[in-house]
Order: sequence, then structure tokens, then C-alpha cells
Amino acid sequence: MSESIVVTGMGIVTALGNGKADTMNALQKKQTGIGKMRYLQTSHADLPVGEVKMSNEEMRDFLKIPADQITTRTPLMGMIALQEAAQQAEIITKRPKKMAFINGTTVGGMEQSELFYQDFFQGVHTEYIAMHDCGAGTEAIADTIGGFDLMTTISTACSSAANAVILGANLIKTGRVDVAVVGGTEGLSKFHLNGFNTLMILDKKQCKPFDKDRVGLNLGEGAAYIVLEKEQSALERNVPIICQLSGYANTCDAYHQTASSPDGEGAFLAMRDALKDAHLQPNDIDYINAHGTGTDNNDVSESAAIERIFGENAPFISSTKSFTGHTTSAAGGVEAVISILALQNNFIPVSLNFKNKMENSTFTPVTENITDKILHHILTNSFGFGGNDSSLIFSKFEQR
Amino acid sequence: MNLYIQAASQISIQEPLCEDWFEHPIFYEERYQRAIDPDFKMYIPPMVARRMGKLLKRALVTSSNVVENSATQKIDAIITGSGLGCIENTEKFLQAMVQEGEDFLQPTFFMQSTHNTISSQIALHLKCHGYNSTYSHRGTSFESGLLDAFQQISLQRIDNALVGGHDEMTPDYFTLLDQIGYWKKGAINSETLRNSDSDGSFSGETSVSFMIENRKKEFSLCEIKAVDLLYKPSIERMQTAVDDLLKNHHLTLQDIDSVFVGISGDVQNDTIYRTMKNKIFQNRPLCWYKHLFGESFSASGLGMYAAAICLQKNCIPEHLFYHPQKPMNGINNILVYNHFQNKDHSLILLSSC
Amino acid sequence: MEELILELKKEIIEVLNLEDVKPEDIDSDSPLFGDGLGLDSIDALELIVLMEKNYGIKLNNAAEGREIFKSVRVMAEYIQKNRKK
Repeated sequence: MSESIVVTGMGIVTALGNGKADTMNALQKKQTGIGKMRYLQTSHADLPVGEVKMSNEEMRDFLKIPADQITTRTPLMGMIALQEAAQQAEIITKRPKKMAFINGTTVGGMEQSELFYQDFFQGVHTEYIAMHDCGAGTEAIADTIGGFDLMTTISTACSSAANAVILGANLIKTGRVDVAVVGGTEGLSKFHLNGFNTLMILDKKQCKPFDKDRVGLNLGEGAAYIVLEKEQSALERNVPIICQLSGYANTCDAYHQTASSPDGEGAFLAMRDALKDAHLQPNDIDYINAHGTGTDNNDVSESAAIERIFGENAPFISSTKSFTGHTTSAAGGVEAVISILALQNNFIPVSLNFKNKMENSTFTPVTENITDKILHHILTNSFGFGGNDSSLIFSKFEQR
Repeated sequence: MNLYIQAASQISIQEPLCEDWFEHPIFYEERYQRAIDPDFKMYIPPMVARRMGKLLKRALVTSSNVVENSATQKIDAIITGSGLGCIENTEKFLQAMVQEGEDFLQPTFFMQSTHNTISSQIALHLKCHGYNSTYSHRGTSFESGLLDAFQQISLQRIDNALVGGHDEMTPDYFTLLDQIGYWKKGAINSETLRNSDSDGSFSGETSVSFMIENRKKEFSLCEIKAVDLLYKPSIERMQTAVDDLLKNHHLTLQDIDSVFVGISGDVQNDTIYRTMKNKIFQNRPLCWYKHLFGESFSASGLGMYAAAICLQKNCIPEHLFYHPQKPMNGINNILVYNHFQNKDHSLILLSSC
Repeated sequence: MEELILELKKEIIEVLNLEDVKPEDIDSDSPLFGDGLGLDSIDALELIVLMEKNYGIKLNNAAEGREIFKSVRVMAEYIQKNRKK
């Protein structure tokens, strides 16, 4: 059996606030970050969203970005989350030999491109053209702390960050790097807000994951990264181990470009294979941080998959997208951090806005904070367009 | 672990779905070239194709081609590298939004705009529930996907993978990149671009697919021995990477018959290759391929393709050599080295099998 | 009515990019989805955009479309009754 992959750092910024403490505090108080739109300029301003509560300028100031450096919202949020994760894992002061940065994003520089698109053709604001592609932001984020030997960007829509975790873990297992900083970032853009709107899957009120009367999702934004390394590397660098990444899987629903299959085949395979990878049985899982977008289609499909794995005895389940909104490419990272916070604190966050159980569902999501259970293993799901389904399992670290 | 390329297929600015370029390369005088598309109706039913942009059709055709040619029964993973994703549909949605407002936008353009559309549509087409991922990291998108497949095979998580590099260049995106100096001004001659001392290159398009697997078949093209990605390496770090790669496979630099590089006629880009040649690759013959395929974010995929075909045919044709020389026969090892803006660097070691 | 039906067929062919289909190939009374023309849920969303853009008819969710998009004739009848453009 190969050596454990452990987590030694985490950073997060979402509508719940900047950092792990703000995030935990909002979850404990059951305070959603979803509300009235403040920063995004769109004619759909009536749609509730989970915005990071800082303008681009405020983020630049916070990060002390030089005035002449071109950035967009997506990398700015990434920089904030990376700093927090890097600090906790002490990767700058106790530098590992080889380090990777794997970033998940899809929107890239679109949030500025959509503002200046027509100007570009007139030769104005052309400095943003080079910031448009996904990889440009990844490099900008990494360069704020430097020291990365290997870097790439994953874009599998809403499972991007979860797949970054998987690649990072494999890079460590093969010994290519000692430390991998993995996760994702995504700023709200008019482009994808309108995209989701054309698919008619946005709720005009607060989203209600797994509720019988759910009508859609709320978009959110944010960034989150975790720091992965081998147990031995953490011991050598003398940094505290937070938990371990015990299993993961990436599968494809191969059903439809945007919809999920009614029997949740892709989701089922992802959870099943992640359990197998972790050498765990379904009843070892204490909590599932569900993908739970609140769309009619996702919640039916995910519930069906959960039933296929867990039968009538589903573990505690909630969707924290009711707090953060759907942070799309960042969601896998955001929910990994929330899951790890839950594991660390023996605390299960609720699903907000839930009233009535879905027809034929085997479970009701958690609606009151649970603090009296010792949590050992948490499974978190991230599913994307095109049936890109990934599941991660985090476990309390036990020295072997 | 051994890893083999079982089949390769391309649609580019050379004759599609064949190796005509090997003996009859097409050279160009215009700085913007679209790929030569096959008749897609022969490959994709119209009801299926109606929502697909060109890039997606190309990816589906080259993917189906390699699956068929390698007689693969069960595909374990589908991995795509694409620097820009389905930019044609992205532009359609974006243009409608900025020109006509946010009221009557079409969902099809949005759902076909995400980068992962290619991998997921291939999965849908081939009914493959296995691993599925998409890399979008500038000029090393393709190598990122290859590295993922390489690692998973070495960790025994999968036995085979369908790996592709796919990028299109729409007229509008060509114009945008022209604004920031990606392309040469005026007419070009692709055959002699290597001698250029000005900025910019000429634009091509890439759609290249490979079936790779952990067992040798009688028709295997070549072996993939190593894949490495480096970010902002110093010369010393680059030297160490090449040394390690050779040592791990019991090779010396002299065993490398040729180094395939992404020389494109852009003087800033090419200078890096010349420096690496002088400091690291020394007397090894350089080959280039972008005079055939043009510049695109996943052009390095065509670099690996060209090298694989040369290994299969046991010959490097005259027109690939950077310094003119006779065709080379008896080839055992080719190193494919690529960089993007001197930040992202990649090494792929291919050997005959 | 027949005029509207023809117009609608042309619009459907254009917006759904039904390259090889001609208006006369579409039976006015055949189902658009499933066995008939073989359209799917994304096409339904496109038809909702078409209804709003060309006829000023706004549907609030995809489910409402199911009855209206039964056939071109049903769609035309609905448009005639409810059009604002």
C-alpha cells in the first residue's frame, strides 16, 4: 500500500468571507453568503448570487498588487486563497524540493473580455487579450508566491477543482513533486451567468437543494486550494497534518452535454470508485458534502446515485451551495475545504432552505447543525457539464 | 512500465487523416490558415453534427479514427488538451451578448462553449464512462493531458487512454491575437520561416488524437518513454531534467537521433530553442514541424505526432530538418521539446519499438 | 394559419441548424420531440428563445414548453393566440 497523501494547508475565499475562520463562522451560524448582486454588471441583477464581498480594486489593495499589473477577478480570488493555503502549509518558509500548482478554472479572463470585447478589435484594452485563456490566470496566481516547478490548468467545468486535486495526488504518488497545491478559482462573469440563464436552471430566489420544490441553482464565486504532500514530506518539513486524502475517482456520465442521467450513472461510478480507491465501505462515510446544486435534474440524479451506493442508510448529507452559491470551477476546492473543516471540527453544516423531501428520495438533508458526532470519513462530490463527475474522500489522519 | 502509441490521427493545415505531409508537404504564403477539413458528413450523422462547431467535429473524427485503428475495445480514459476550448461557440455567445444584449441568447452556443465539451462529447459518442478530463494551459495543454495519462498508466489506474490536442483559430480570435503580436505582418513563406528574424508566426489549427496503451501491438507506432513538464526552469534545471530523463532510460545524448522543437519563425520564441540547442542539445540535429502545421496552442501535439510517424517509418524526411540535411534513416529515439513564452516547457521522449 | 406554419418551420430549421431538412419535410402534425423530428431538451430551450424573440411570448420554465411544442401546428396555434409581436 502506498504512503498516505495528507493535507497540510487550506485557503478559501467565497461569499462567506475571506479565509477559513469566516467560512466556519458563517456555516456555524447558518448564515448564507447568497444575496443581492453588488459587483457584476448585468441586466439580470434580480438574480441572487454568492459574490465575494470585495471589488477587484479592494482585492488588489488587499494583495498589494502593483498598479501596472493586469489582472482579472478570477486570478485575484485565486491569489487570496493561495496565500492562505501557502501560509498554513509553510511552503514558502519550509520549501519542499519540488512543488506543483494545479488550478481548475473555466471562465479565465472572460470577466474582463466581455467588458472590452468590442474595444479589442479597435486596439483598445488589448492588454486583457493575453489574460483571456485559462492558463494565463493560473500563472499569475502562482507567480505571486513563486517556487512552483510544474504547473497546469484543468477545465472540466464544475468539477475542475476536484480534478485538480486528483492530478495533484497522482503527481505526488509518482514522485514527480513533493508538494502539490490544488484547487480552483472562478469569478462571476456575465457570460456564464447568462449561459446558465439560457439553460433555465437559475433560481430567482435562494436555492433549495434536495427540496421537492427546488427550481434551480444560484451562482457563486470564489477560490479554494489545499496543499497535498506525502506523510513523510510533512514530517520532514515539520508541518502539522490536517487530514488525509484517502480516495478519489473521476468518471463520465456520458449521457448528455448538460443534463445528468436519471439513474446517476456517472455519479454512482465516481462515488463507488472513490470508495474502492480509499479501501472503504459505504457505511464508513459519515457525511456527504453533495454536489447538490438545487436544479431539478442534478438533485434527482445525485439522489439516485446515492441510493445505489448507500441504499436506505444514507449518511448525513448537505449541500453547502446553499451558503456559497455554485462556485462552478472552484466548487470542488471550496467544498473540499468545507469538508475538511467539518472533519477537523466534528461539525456537519446544514443544507439551507430545505422544507420538503423530494419524491422517491431515500434521505433528507441535514437541517440542524450536527456537533455531537465524531467524523472519520467525508465524501464530497463535484459534477460538471458533459458528465464530468468526480468524488473525493477525506479522512481523519491516523498514523500507521 | 511501457507505454505505446497504438494509433495517431490528425486534421490540420496538411492533408487530413493521412500522412501525405511526410512526402508531399503543403507550404503556405498566407499567415492565416484554416485546417483542411474532411467531409464530416461521411463520419458524423447530420442530426448529431448540427450543433457541433468545426473543432468538435474534427476532434470526434480523429478520436474515432484512432479508436478504430487501434482496435481498442474498452477505453479507460479520454483526455483532451485545448488552450482555448471551443472558441467558435464562445464567440457566438459572447458576440450576441455584447452586441444584442442579454435577452435572447441561445443555450446551444453556451453549452458547446466550455472547454470540456470536446472530451465529454467524445465520451458521449464512444459511450465511455471512464476517466474524463480536459487541460487548458496555454502552449502545454496537450502535454498536460499526456502527462496525466502517462501517470495514471504508471500508477496502474488505467491501461489505455485516448489523448488529444485540439485548437481552432477563428477569424476573430486571429484578429485579437494579431493585436498583441502573435502573427507575422504581411505575406510569409512557411517553408523558410526558420530563418525569420522578426516577431510573430503564422497561424494553423490542430486536431490530433492518439490512442496510447500499456502493451505493445504489432502495429504500435512507437514507445513513449517519458513526459515532463517544467515551469520557468533555469538552464541548470532544464539540464538536470534532460540528464535525468536520459539516465532513467539508460541513454546518452548521442542516442537521441533528433530533437523536435517548436521553432515557428517568431524570433523571440525561436531564440529560446537556439539557446537550449547550444547549451543542452549541442550537436543533436534539430527538427521543426510548425512550418507544416502552423502555430496553435496545441501544436506540440502535432510535434509528437510527426515524431511518432518518423519513428514508425524509421525515417526523418529532409523537410523537417532545421539545418538542411539528407533524410535520416535508422531512428531509435526522438526528444520532443516545446516551450510557451519561455514559461511552460515540456519534454517527451519517444523511442522506436 | 398555413402561412404562420411555414414561417415557423423555416425558423425552426434555421435556429436548430437542421441542415438537410426542408420545410416540406416537417409534417405539421407530427411530434417535434422523440419519434417525429427527434428534437431534445436543448432544442426545447432554443424554441423558447425563438418564441420570445420573434413573437414576444415569454415562457417561465422549460416544462411549459412541453405542451406547446407538441407539433408545429399546436405551436402555431399557441403563437396566434398569444403573440405580442
